[in-house]
Amino acid sequence: MRSDPPAQLPGGGARIPQRDEAELAARARAGDRAAFGTLVERFAPQARRVARAVLQNPDDADDAAQDAFLSALVKLDQYDPRRPFGPWLMRIVANAATDRRRRRAVRQAEALEPELAGGGSRPDLDAERRALGERLRAALAQLPERRRLAVVLFDVEGYSHAEIADILSIPEGTARSEVFHARRTLRSLLQDWKEGE
Amino acid sequence: MMEPSLPFDHRADPELGAALRAALEPGDPAPFVARVLAQAELTRGRRDVPTWDILARWARAGIAAAAVAALVAGFAVGRAMQSGATLDDVMVASAGAGANALLSSPRAPDASVVFTSLVERER
Repeated sequence: MRSDPPAQLPGGGARIPQRDEAELAARARAGDRAAFGTLVERFAPQARRVARAVLQNPDDADDAAQDAFLSALVKLDQYDPRRPFGPWLMRIVANAATDRRRRRAVRQAEALEPELAGGGSRPDLDAERRALGERLRAALAQLPERRRLAVVLFDVEGYSHAEIADILSIPEGTARSEVFHARRTLRSLLQDWKEGE
Repeated sequence: MMEPSLPFDHRADPELGAALRAALEPGDPAPFVARVLAQAELTRGRRDVPTWDILARWARAGIAAAAVAALVAGFAVGRAMQSGATLDDVMVASAGAGANALLSSPRAPDASVVFTSLVERER
């Protein structure tokens, strides 16, 4: 069963119309710097998040996202304008992040500080959010890479199972399964967090 | 959000999505975008140098060396024909290390080899 991509991204941002993307890509391929700049601006947050889901370290993730944009610029003639630009780019981002992780020694995920892991005092909402962010990142780091990418692409970036399958070069059923298992782990963590409040 | 999800659940989970988004938020995009565009300009600059220009640059030295080698070879053959000696005689007579290296190497001659062979002939 193919699931349709959501009309809006979960974070509230609307998807970029495909025709617009294709036109920007065509102009960028023809050497239009402004068009490439617009594509980078539009997809930078998404690319950085996806890269961070693989690499954890934000600096490494930015390096990988940059590699991906430069690689995409070189490969723009391979982009099929009849298809959405996002999945094509995210495939390059995921590969760039994975390559970078393979090239470098995997950095140890930062250990949770005791007060974050153990439900110590939480003086304000910001601190709580930061702590939750830390816990989620740590939980993500424990997931297999493909599962991590799948859940971020689905629940954060709003891609469909079919698009995720395309991005990760896996069957659609596997993409569904990866999202399901990742969600189960992360939801249980969120639930514990809420009950601890 | 907390009901168990089915494997075929194709709806995004807004709460989990928002929490993950906040956890992965990379911060201000402006410096990153500027960095990518600057790097793209550098890459584009490198790509703008046509491949033929690079090949031509490499070829110039090779062509010059080949011309000098042809000149030396022509001179040697001319001398051989004038004196009635064979090319082998000339080779033996001028069998310095430079000339041997020049005429027996399968690779294009290096400028130093050509120079050595010329100097040897002057001695």
